Amino acid sequence: MKKTFAILFATTALTVGVGLPAWSAIHDGPRPQASREAVGDASDDGATLLFASDDGRRDRDHGRRFGRGDDDDDHDDDDDDDDDDDDYGYRGGAAGPAPAGTVTPPNNGLFGSGAAPKVKVN
Amino acid sequence: MRTILAALALTTALTLPGIAMARPVTLTTTLKNYGGDGAYLAIYVTDPKGAYAGTLWMAGGKSKYYEHLTDWYRATRGNIAEINGITGASVGAGRKLEITLDLADALFDAGYTLHVDAAVEDMRDSPNEVAVPLTAAGAGQTVKGRRYVASFGYAM
Repeated sequence: MKKTFAILFATTALTVGVGLPAWSAIHDGPRPQASREAVGDASDDGATLLFASDDGRRDRDHGRRFGRGDDDDDHDDDDDDDDDDDDYGYRGGAAGPAPAGTVTPPNNGLFGSGAAPKVKVN
Repeated sequence: MRTILAALALTTALTLPGIAMARPVTLTTTLKNYGGDGAYLAIYVTDPKGAYAGTLWMAGGKSKYYEHLTDWYRATRGNIAEINGITGASVGAGRKLEITLDLADALFDAGYTLHVDAAVEDMRDSPNEVAVPLTAAGAGQTVKGRRYVASFGYAM
């Protein structure tokens, strides 16, 4: 009897130990797809969906503004903007886009040639 | 002589279609005297389904402010590769920005729409400040923007 209980206990423990992670993996996979389908179905019905993600932050942005209070990305201790000139964000060629004339425009199908745009500000 | 003429005819025939597939278009954006700093402007195109097709010009060089060009940023996730080689300085209040670029013929009268998003430091963001269909008939006409743009138009 003791032996039977021991075997039963062992198999139960083994099942829980191996089965739970596997069950979780199986049920985690399809969830995003299912959500997407649900979203698609609801959209088809013309329903308005409100997402609980941080996108809502952008959806409420009608009164948003940028300024010196924006995130200071330079990771130093001060709170100021260390790059006040409009130099295209170039800090040794770091994160900013390449200014017009320095590289060819992107190949996005909109431009008929690789010619640099001509710009005039009055 | 005959060979030269034949070669000339051949190269002309090969070159002409390439030239005809694009045309120089001048986009003119005049800003209001809104009493603030230089405006960041994203000028971009959406396809007939309303999906983002690409950017034509970015006025303003600091990428950390691009999220304020709300619709453009949502479409591109602020991808810098979209605006390499087509970025210039922000545009001051009351100033006129003229950009001349070679635009593909296929964009005209095909359901594409030209958009302008605008943002100004310490002032309200203005996504979709301007939205105009790209048509041959629309060339030379101007429209008003919602907040910062006094007039916007394109000429061919």
